[in-house]
Amino acid sequence: MTGLHRGSSDVRTLSEPVQLSIPVQSDLILLARLTAATVASRAGFDVEQIDDLRLAVDELCVLVACGSSSGRFNLTFATNGDAVEVICALDVSEEDGASTDDHGERELSVRILDALVDEHGEEYDDKRQRGWLRKRKVRHEAL
Amino acid sequence: MDEAFAVDEREDHDVVHVAVRGELDVATAPTLREHLYAAADRSSGPVVVDLLAVTFIDSTALGVLIGTKERCDELGIELRLVVDKTRIIKIFEITGLTELFSISPTFDKAAAR
Repeated sequence: MTGLHRGSSDVRTLSEPVQLSIPVQSDLILLARLTAATVASRAGFDVEQIDDLRLAVDELCVLVACGSSSGRFNLTFATNGDAVEVICALDVSEEDGASTDDHGERELSVRILDALVDEHGEEYDDKRQRGWLRKRKVRHEAL
Repeated sequence: MDEAFAVDEREDHDVVHVAVRGELDVATAPTLREHLYAAADRSSGPVVVDLLAVTFIDSTALGVLIGTKERCDELGIELRLVVDKTRIIKIFEITGLTELFSISPTFDKAAAR
């Protein structure tokens, strides 16, 4: 991670996006979750919001992978104002079908994303699968 | 560091108790599925899946639990979950799965239902 500086509200924001490239391998999605947690923490998210973003990024990867087991996830994490934005892209070289039982898991992923982030979207074509999300920091009023 | 994924099983009278710990995600879901389907297949009574030591759960693991529930329904046995962490309960709530599953906060309560 590069380009961290201390912002006006004593939160270290990212002056440059963090990029992560990992093989599409189920045990490596953990790295995307760890990065999401680190970026969210530096953006000043509280513990619950950090957990929300960890899960949301995991679901984004699952949605974008769409059962693929080849290629690489190219993830970009950035802060924009009080929000964290994440893009997950996957270049598809071959179709190898879904690798998990489908018990409405895509629908579950979408429901989870709907509940945990402010905006998200996915787009697919023959060569590329891409998803993105945006989660704003919730400000807690002082009692 | 989160506790590593593991599954422990034991039988108490006709109740099969499957205790799961660690992170349940796309990497651990296949092993979880093997254990839960095998537990359902050999059980004559309720299968109680203890998620008290689970620290993370995503849609792929929820899919495994839904598949296990369908298998239990086919076999005419009950699937009961034990969950006490607010964080994990929240995931069941936002996916609407609290309506599908029987969820208790302790193993004793789940076994006694």
